[in-house]
Amino acid sequence: AGGGATGVAGGAYWVDSQQKRYVPVKGDHVIGIVTAKAGDVFKLDVGGSEQASLSYLAFEGATKRNRPNVQVGDLIYGQFLVANKDMEPEMVCIDSSGRSSGMGIIGQDGFLFKVSLGLIRKLLAPKCEIIQELSQLYPFELVLGMNGRIWVKAKTVQQTLIIVNILEACEYMTAEQRKQALAKLSGN
Amino acid sequence: IIEERSFMPCEDLLYGRMSFKGFNPEIEKLMIQMNSRCKEEEIEVDDKMEADVSDEEMARRYETLVGTIGKKFLRKRDQRVQKDEDEDEDGNSNMRPSKKAKKKFLKPQD
Repeated sequence: AGGGATGVAGGAYWVDSQQKRYVPVKGDHVIGIVTAKAGDVFKLDVGGSEQASLSYLAFEGATKRNRPNVQVGDLIYGQFLVANKDMEPEMVCIDSSGRSSGMGIIGQDGFLFKVSLGLIRKLLAPKCEIIQELSQLYPFELVLGMNGRIWVKAKTVQQTLIIVNILEACEYMTAEQRKQALAKLSGN
Repeated sequence: IIEERSFMPCEDLLYGRMSFKGFNPEIEKLMIQMNSRCKEEEIEVDDKMEADVSDEEMARRYETLVGTIGKKFLRKRDQRVQKDEDEDEDGNSNMRPSKKAKKKFLKPQD
């Protein structure tokens, strides 16, 4: 629901609106949760209407003998190879040149949570203030999936939860409120 | 009119994996690589690795190395000659005028 923005960039027009449900799109990088292992293929939940499939050979350096160590419940960062309304979406953790370039199994620990798709686009915009302000606080690692999922990992559980709360609250906080909250935190 | 379903080309979004303050150095390197595709300034990464052995030491080592390996391929008589020469050089300042020439195979003359 709710309003959006339109934009123009080099001949392309788009309409941006608030939505929570993700629709798989080819080339999008998303965070998926492994739900099942069916022989040579993993089934991933990406928050869409159906589960995506991921072949065990779609990892960097994977061969028939050398299988990636993926268990049910693991988090995977990958991109869609096939995503249309007629077929089951298919994901890979390798790019067109065969390198993983950051994709693959997301490590242990950390915290996964869901936000709206609009916020993800805001966060991924070049020179995003939220991200810049957060990066001043303390060292942490962040993975943003276009399907509305964010994974955060910091040194302590408390720091991780603080980042999670700020990101979730960014949805409705104004820039002023956010700066105040961060100032309080960095004062601690 | 072409319909495009993804947002990527519209808004020129960054790469989704990020790390800050050195939490994950590999991802930070990746961030520089990925985001240098944008029209921002590319941060130059210093590729020069620190050498374990300095250049001088390397040159010195090579100097003696060539001699050592060369000696391996000398025939036995020439090895003895070389050894004598080295010993002599320490004692005398004069070099031996006649150095035993390498004995080549003599063709039988009819």
